[in-house]
Amino acid sequence: MNTLVWRLHRSQAYVTGAALIVLAAVLLITGIAVSGTYHDFVVGCAAAHDCGDPSPVLGRDGLITDWLLATMAIPLLFGMFWGAPLLATEFEDGTHGLAWTQGVTRGRWLSRTVAWPLLAALVWGGALAALVTWWRAPANALGFPGVRFDTGIFDIQGIMPVAYSVFAVALGIAMGTAFRRVLPAMATTLAVFTGVRFLITEFARPHYLTPASALVPIGGDNGPSGSWVLSNVTVGPGGQRYGNFTFQDEPAACRSLPPGPKEPACLAAHGFHVLITYQPAGRFWAFQGIEAAIFLVLAAALIAMTFRLVLARDA
Amino acid sequence: MNAQDAPAIRTAGLGKRYGSLWALQDCSVSVPRGRVSALVGPNGAGKTTLLKILAGLSAPSAGEAAVLGRAPGQSAEFLNSVGYLAQHVPLYKRLSAGDHLDIGARLNRHWDAGAARARLAALKIPLGRPVATLSGGQRAQVGLSLALAKRPRLLLLDEPVAALDPLARREFLTSLTGAVADGDLSVILSSHLLHDLERVCDHLILLAASRTQLVGDIDDVLATHRILVGPRRRIGEVEPGLTVIKSTQTARQTRLLARLTGPVLDPSWEVTEVGLEDIVVAYMGLEASPADGQLTEIGAAQ
Repeated sequence: MNTLVWRLHRSQAYVTGAALIVLAAVLLITGIAVSGTYHDFVVGCAAAHDCGDPSPVLGRDGLITDWLLATMAIPLLFGMFWGAPLLATEFEDGTHGLAWTQGVTRGRWLSRTVAWPLLAALVWGGALAALVTWWRAPANALGFPGVRFDTGIFDIQGIMPVAYSVFAVALGIAMGTAFRRVLPAMATTLAVFTGVRFLITEFARPHYLTPASALVPIGGDNGPSGSWVLSNVTVGPGGQRYGNFTFQDEPAACRSLPPGPKEPACLAAHGFHVLITYQPAGRFWAFQGIEAAIFLVLAAALIAMTFRLVLARDA
Repeated sequence: MNAQDAPAIRTAGLGKRYGSLWALQDCSVSVPRGRVSALVGPNGAGKTTLLKILAGLSAPSAGEAAVLGRAPGQSAEFLNSVGYLAQHVPLYKRLSAGDHLDIGARLNRHWDAGAARARLAALKIPLGRPVATLSGGQRAQVGLSLALAKRPRLLLLDEPVAALDPLARREFLTSLTGAVADGDLSVILSSHLLHDLERVCDHLILLAASRTQLVGDIDDVLATHRILVGPRRRIGEVEPGLTVIKSTQTARQTRLLARLTGPVLDPSWEVTEVGLEDIVVAYMGLEASPADGQLTEIGAAQ
């Protein structure tokens, strides 16, 4: 059974392996350079007692940062090019009839056929995650560019690439079984994966844990270092909240100032604060765990659906 | 009945429905072991459906089937005892014949690797090239070799020669005949090329209009069917020892193709033997006018 899976899919394994080696080479070479730059910067700024703005130093790696963002799409590629054709090709070519009349039961054939691509997704996704997480270690430490909770940064490191890859492959396999055609399976994998990722990122992720809240000075509404600020409301000296704080709400003394850095200072002096809700930086791994669990449960449901369809269906 | 002396196949009231359409209906057949059975019928008669049910690839909607005394299903015993070659001979396009043999060896209990390689070598079929680059005849031979290498007790072949040229067809059927002669193997072979089947088969299953119309050893079928030609007479006056399958009348003559259940007593009939092809075609015609279509009028009626 393992021989069958390997002979059928070895070329895909070679191509993906080669692509991963290229990506690893690029990230290792640039990552070593970045960590050198980072090290020099941290040593230098510590000596000068000013580590305020790292952008002139680390901003140069914008191209690689964009590359890293592009790794968000890799799980989708696994889903479209490994998952979707896996069973759809068998149905298109009629070879499922050949496989199902060999001396192994359909359940055994199916479990081996889906186990290997899922395992491959786990391994490749893990390798990708390890590379990107390592590359971003300096950026994570500085909180620049972007904090770890940001969309596009949260999604490419930690354990997320593993969970997304497994989900994408399971989705592709299920769509291939449902449609029995490669192209519709690839198209729906693309649409469903993108849709589910968007919905969960936008609407579920902020609510995994009840956010913390804090009253911070005007102008300090970025929240504690590395945290994810979900909302901010200006609070007046008497405790009144301004849903939409406008120029008209400012005290006369501050309104007369020219726009600039003095204005927040004036507001602070008059007793204005900002009430923020946020997810503290320390919750990063909890959030990773929760979102990974969601996608792994979805993947398990899709594989269960595949088994039901394949075992119940006529050839 | 234990599995050792159970018939190769036995079905009772077997039916398969797709939506509201019956692809196979009320199919009751029993085929003894060791026969090479021709499954014939017009397109859409349910041949493929019947073979898929027997191969365990499709679940019946009605009735039951037993293959070698076992219900087709997902047991290793069943799967290892039945060989199946689907229509158009699906193979993994990018894999070579050798790959297919290696995979088959790992998936089947009673795999006969030596015989399969020897067959393909004798046919000069390259083992190393992707099967997509082989000819249709070579692919069919690879498919047959895979099915035979399982050493099945029952081999189901769905239109294996339909796409082949006459030479490849003959080679395929010769290979099949050789394999059958070698061991305890029953074969059901579907085709609409009756001429080919007659050479290799000794048993007949005739499906038409989604139902079984005729089942039996070909020798018996030939022995019990006759053409009767005699003076024109009224339809009702056909004698009791006959079941009329088809009749044609001209102004002076009545011609019948009939199944005999006893001797023909009326001396005014001129009785002649009839070939298998004419018998099969006559039965297939039954569906065209099912009510009382056993009579086709030709010429002026009185």
